[in-house]
Amino acid sequence: MNDLWNQIDLCWTWLTASSQWHGADGIPHRLLQHAYYSGVSLLFAAVIGLTLGLLIGHTGRGGFLAITLANFARAIPTFGLILFVVVIEYSITPVLVALVALAVPPILVNTFEGVRGVDADVKDAARGMGMTGLGVLWHAELPMALPLILLGLRTSAIQVVATATIAAYPGFGGLGRYIIDGLARNDYQLVVGGTVLVVLLALVVQLVFAALRRVVISPGLLGSARSS
Amino acid sequence: MITFEGVTKRYPGGTVALDDVSLECPTGRITVFVGTSGGGKTTALRTINRMVDPTSGRVLIDGRDVRERRPAELRRGIGYVIQHAGLFPHRTVLDNIATVPYLVGWNKKKARERALELMERVGLEPAMAKRYPFQLSGGQQQRVGVARALAADPPIMLMDEPFSAVDPVVRAELQDEFLRLQDELHKTIVFVTHDIDEAIKLGDRIAVFRTGGRLVQIDSPEDLLARPADDFVAGFIGRDRGIRRLSFVPASSAPLTDRDVLPADTPVERVTAVGWILVVDAGRRPLGWVSADALPASGALGDARLAPVGPTFDAETDSVRAALDAAILSPSGRAVAVDGSGQVVGVADQHDLTAAIRPAAPLAKDGVSG
Repeated sequence: MNDLWNQIDLCWTWLTASSQWHGADGIPHRLLQHAYYSGVSLLFAAVIGLTLGLLIGHTGRGGFLAITLANFARAIPTFGLILFVVVIEYSITPVLVALVALAVPPILVNTFEGVRGVDADVKDAARGMGMTGLGVLWHAELPMALPLILLGLRTSAIQVVATATIAAYPGFGGLGRYIIDGLARNDYQLVVGGTVLVVLLALVVQLVFAALRRVVISPGLLGSARSS
Repeated sequence: MITFEGVTKRYPGGTVALDDVSLECPTGRITVFVGTSGGGKTTALRTINRMVDPTSGRVLIDGRDVRERRPAELRRGIGYVIQHAGLFPHRTVLDNIATVPYLVGWNKKKARERALELMERVGLEPAMAKRYPFQLSGGQQQRVGVARALAADPPIMLMDEPFSAVDPVVRAELQDEFLRLQDELHKTIVFVTHDIDEAIKLGDRIAVFRTGGRLVQIDSPEDLLARPADDFVAGFIGRDRGIRRLSFVPASSAPLTDRDVLPADTPVERVTAVGWILVVDAGRRPLGWVSADALPASGALGDARLAPVGPTFDAETDSVRAALDAAILSPSGRAVAVDGSGQVVGVADQHDLTAAIRPAAPLAKDGVSG
């Protein structure tokens, strides 16, 4: 117990030390780097995952192939991917590629399942009233798939935020810097401090998605999910 | 008018959904497609708005081939109602109804005003405008579905088993309101059902399809009941088609008598009638039946023990079927005819009613007149 309290105290001292809040190795700078890597990766992953997911879900073609590939991609160890690519080109790009590869599958699979799960009667009615294929996608399939799509984005976002720590291995900073340095120097204050920051960032992501869910998803969908 | 010219739909693999169907759906009337499942009735309906394109043959709307028009544009001019309504769960009732107006580019205000107007038309409280489909009962969802199909005021409505998924009481209610609505709107309606009673109740014309997508007969409900084209149609219509046909014979042709209709204050001594007497109040509303042999020795008629009146029928608007039903359920074996305000016009016994049936009765093809 005493030990745990010691850790918390050390961590708090570290977090609140004024030296931590300035300069290239300061928390704000590391946090921004971390958020930047995560945000960019998630953005690319969303573009790829949403586009493919909507396309496959809407047309009903290539679903099996896409899901198989997505599951295959999940099995690739991210760390290995980074090391492998960094050998070929030393820059931040391989790190981002690895994070995107990590983030695409949940988005793709959820988007596909969301669109595929839209009630056939609703799609039939939408077509029968004179919506074009794109119209059905935009007015019916996308809004009705949103709960699942957001779930996929949230899963990816949290994974990316947690995994972006590896950007520090090839030396590109981020919050992973503290953890790796701390481990190398046996400085557990640093390790715990860095970890706490990553966890806090993941929590913020959770909160953002909870808020987003309230704003963008129709009460008509949330209500029926609650009642069924 | 919607015209089918030799329409055939054959799916890859050889299944024939429609087999050389030719028929006409007259403008402003309700044409019902009825038949066994797999009979192609839904496929036939879906060729009209190009949800299905025929393998051969043509479907024409007012003489123009539907395939000359782009599907989306064609469908915006044709109302479409399906079995489970297919409402958008993420849109409010109001926005569901305004779907087609939005599609054809009305502004939001005009579209919503129109939607509110239609809610009233189909019997939905304006308070429901902001609700979502999951908050509605099946019957209410179907009303929204009908309102949504009517929103852009299309001249044609396609309805695919719209009332099949609700319970019988709500179904009858929806059917009645649908007929009332059609009386005001005079749309050209094609209505698919597997329920022959619904077809007879709603249809101006009934097209019977059988397995393999063949059109067996198209006729008015009266003629369909009187002269089924073959054993399949006769079997599909089912039992009691003679009795059911009486629904189309107006009761106004039945002879009525008011000889045995007496006011309640008539002194018993003055009653000369034998058999059953219908006792009425001062406003000629029926009070009950009394048999002449069961009268007390003195007093007024109204003091006697009266048997309940039983069901009555409207002499102007009801059918012989309703009259006969009233006669069978009446303790006296006689049916009580009332006018619109509930006053007794007269009574008719089963013999009188049979006389009214006779001219309509022949079921032979050549219609022997009585």
